Amino acid sequence: MNALTGHLSVLGHGVVTTVELTAVTTVAALLLGIIVAILRISPVPMLRGIGLVYVEVLQNLPLLALLVLFVFAFPQIGITFPLFTSAAIVIAAYEGAYMAEAIRAGINTVAVGQAEAARAIGLTFSQSLRYVILPQALRAVIQPIGNICIALLMNTSLAAAVGVVELTQAANNVNLVEAQPIEVFTGAGLAYMVLALIIGFTTGRLERKLAIVR
Amino acid sequence: MSSLKTKLVPRKSAALAAVAAATVLAVAACGGGSGSSSSAAGSTSNSGLGGSGVLAQSVYDSAPVAPASAIPAGSTMAMIKQKGQLTIGAALDAPLLSQQDPTNGKIEGFDADLAKLLAKYITGTTNVKTVTIGTQTREAMLSSKQVDAVFNTYTITPERASQVAFAGPYMSSGLAVAVKSSDNSIHSVKDLSGKTVIVGANTPAITELPKAAPNSKQVAFGTDPEAVQALTQGRGVAYVQDLTLLASDAKANPAIKVVGQPFTSEPYGIGLNHDDAQFKTFVNNWLKTIESDGIWAKVYQATLGSVVQGPVPTPPAIGSVDGS
Repeated sequence: MNALTGHLSVLGHGVVTTVELTAVTTVAALLLGIIVAILRISPVPMLRGIGLVYVEVLQNLPLLALLVLFVFAFPQIGITFPLFTSAAIVIAAYEGAYMAEAIRAGINTVAVGQAEAARAIGLTFSQSLRYVILPQALRAVIQPIGNICIALLMNTSLAAAVGVVELTQAANNVNLVEAQPIEVFTGAGLAYMVLALIIGFTTGRLERKLAIVR
Repeated sequence: MSSLKTKLVPRKSAALAAVAAATVLAVAACGGGSGSSSSAAGSTSNSGLGGSGVLAQSVYDSAPVAPASAIPAGSTMAMIKQKGQLTIGAALDAPLLSQQDPTNGKIEGFDADLAKLLAKYITGTTNVKTVTIGTQTREAMLSSKQVDAVFNTYTITPERASQVAFAGPYMSSGLAVAVKSSDNSIHSVKDLSGKTVIVGANTPAITELPKAAPNSKQVAFGTDPEAVQALTQGRGVAYVQDLTLLASDAKANPAIKVVGQPFTSEPYGIGLNHDDAQFKTFVNNWLKTIESDGIWAKVYQATLGSVVQGPVPTPPAIGSVDGS
């Protein structure tokens, strides 16, 4: 295990970057997902159209292609973001589409009567969303959102292709010195597994805690 | 509110989504087109170089074939001769070293041509089966005997030599520095201290740069065209990569230039199975033969010599490196 223990600081920095990237993009993707899901159920046809196009476009393009496009095409028109920021923006936008679909599925689980009741007591569209629909909808899809978070964690490894030194890139760099790919990548794989288990455990706890007892 | 009642807005049609996606794809393709113009130019001229990088048939015809006495029964060479083809691990995307021409499927370049010449030395024909190989899998492929030899700009190091045997070195190159053509402040690797430098992911530059230019900050990109693009877009002040690769990049793309001399020495070896000393001796003898009869120089001239300035270098002495 010398190949791993001799490079703990490099691998540790990689883990920290992966966790940072995952945390930032999860929050951004969740907010984006809520907004897009609301667009998709809004009463205005145009907004529904924008939501639909957003989801279909982002879900149907490979993440790596989006990353490379964003990092290399935007500087061409004079907009250059740092690499970490670029990766975070693209991954958040991409995972936001998946979040939106999960949240929309949650909204569909809320009975029609709830929305009708909300309207009957005089709540506006946004009030009925805030106080009636979304609190129930989000509770219903905690586990699917957790699954998207885990997929997001795995997808952060693609940021390595555009120069972000996260866990995968760190493992590559260590392997370059040690030429022990089995040890190094098993170690990196275990680290990803631990992170994914933490996410799974957290969402499992959250789901039980926030379950609606009907 | 009507849609809140029904909740799920029915998908208009798959066609609408397809049209929308196609539009965005087209827009994206346009953006990418202008964005990657230099890399597109790079690939065009690389194929142009491929034209001049093809070794003349007469060189293959005049190449030596091992005498029967050099191939004892039961040896690795005898097995390769019986099969009638040499199986090698190599890249398909290294310009001038080992690059597949998409128009005819042939693999050309310095490494690829040497592999064909080794095949001829053993079997009498230039029949080579190429297995695409990654830098992470070379040692495993050799020890499990999935390939007979690895021709892959495989730098000889003592760490690697504990797992594989190296014939050679058959070539010596080194890491060099490329900058934007408009940049006149950087003259050598020493000027890179404290600057942001672009490197190729999984290349020796990642470990060598901190030794040559302390405090420099690295940004790694996955492919060579991406790294060149990043340099022209100012993601770093310089791009550190193997001299042969940089020379062909600079020839293809006038926006960048190579400055100074290589600051490392990378002796390339032919990777062989660690426990097959007989085959290693055989390959080393073949290298000595083609180096002394001028075939090595002809291969160099036809490939790397077309972009690297200066006379044909003298090949490094066989076994001169720790690990070979």
